[in-house]
Amino acid sequence: MNTRTFLFAGIAIALIIAAMAPFIASSNPDGLESAFFGIFGAKEIKGSALDEDHAGIAEEEVLGITGNDFSFASPFMDYAIEGLEKFGEAAAVILGTLLVVIIAWGLGKVVSRTH
Amino acid sequence: MHIPDAFIPLPQAALYWVIALIFIALSLRWARKDLTEDRIPLVAVLAAGIFALQAINIPIPWGTSGHMMGAALAAIVLGSPFAAVFILTLVLIVQGVLFGDGGLTVMGANIINMGVIGGFVGYYGYRALYPVFKSPYPPAFIAGWLSLFIAALATALEMAVAGTFPLELGLLSMGLYHAVIGIIEGGITAAAIYLIHTARPDIMVEPAGVPA
Repeated sequence: MNTRTFLFAGIAIALIIAAMAPFIASSNPDGLESAFFGIFGAKEIKGSALDEDHAGIAEEEVLGITGNDFSFASPFMDYAIEGLEKFGEAAAVILGTLLVVIIAWGLGKVVSRTH
Repeated sequence: MHIPDAFIPLPQAALYWVIALIFIALSLRWARKDLTEDRIPLVAVLAAGIFALQAINIPIPWGTSGHMMGAALAAIVLGSPFAAVFILTLVLIVQGVLFGDGGLTVMGANIINMGVIGGFVGYYGYRALYPVFKSPYPPAFIAGWLSLFIAALATALEMAVAGTFPLELGLLSMGLYHAVIGIIEGGITAAAIYLIHTARPDIMVEPAGVPA
């Protein structure tokens, strides 16, 4: 397989994964969130039910502990594009994947060329 | 295991950023010295694949889910833990700035956990295990598992220092979930190395004495 084919095949696989991601990904809390909810009483560590009200309280509580109330309005918060539901999320992950390719390629070129 | 802003006090978050910046500088030095022109497509493909795979949270027991980090994969394929720092930093910047996935003040901590610790444990785990198995796949699986597990324990330690998690319960719960999520990390790391090796055996970096 030549380098051009490798590049396009690799990016194609990444884009297929990106397009599928929102449709197949689990919306359960991830390991860190689950540990957080377990420790703050919104869920049992080994249980699966999440108490949504308690989860909100937990998020207030942790702010009280750390005092880090920094917030930044990301343009596509949680991979959401308004009004587009799952297809919007797929578009957002595809956009992110392409952006990462361009940055990795560009930075790689610039930095590796300087030696 | 993307840490959100609220989980770490600002002074500690700043300290993690300082440490992360040192490793980012070293990763740029790696790119300048060891990233040859012909491997730039590999870096781009790995970055894209890791970004996309990180969007797939796979359900595990206990109402929880997890996704791979990809640091072990990047470090093994490109033959340096700094390659993982290079790629994971790019991925984390795009995730944090564009999609609010992982905080910005705490991004240094996320770069340390997923890029630095993931990359170093993955790379040196693979190198240490290769002579035992004399095949790339079992070492890639174990190194992938270990990279995620150790990164999760490091995150639990940071949460304890932050006062967010009690030490013991933090280590136990993070360890429990990530021991399972690590199977995903190890499996995808081994599978991706198989695919890349099959497509382009010459493009992988072969460290001395360790044919990748």
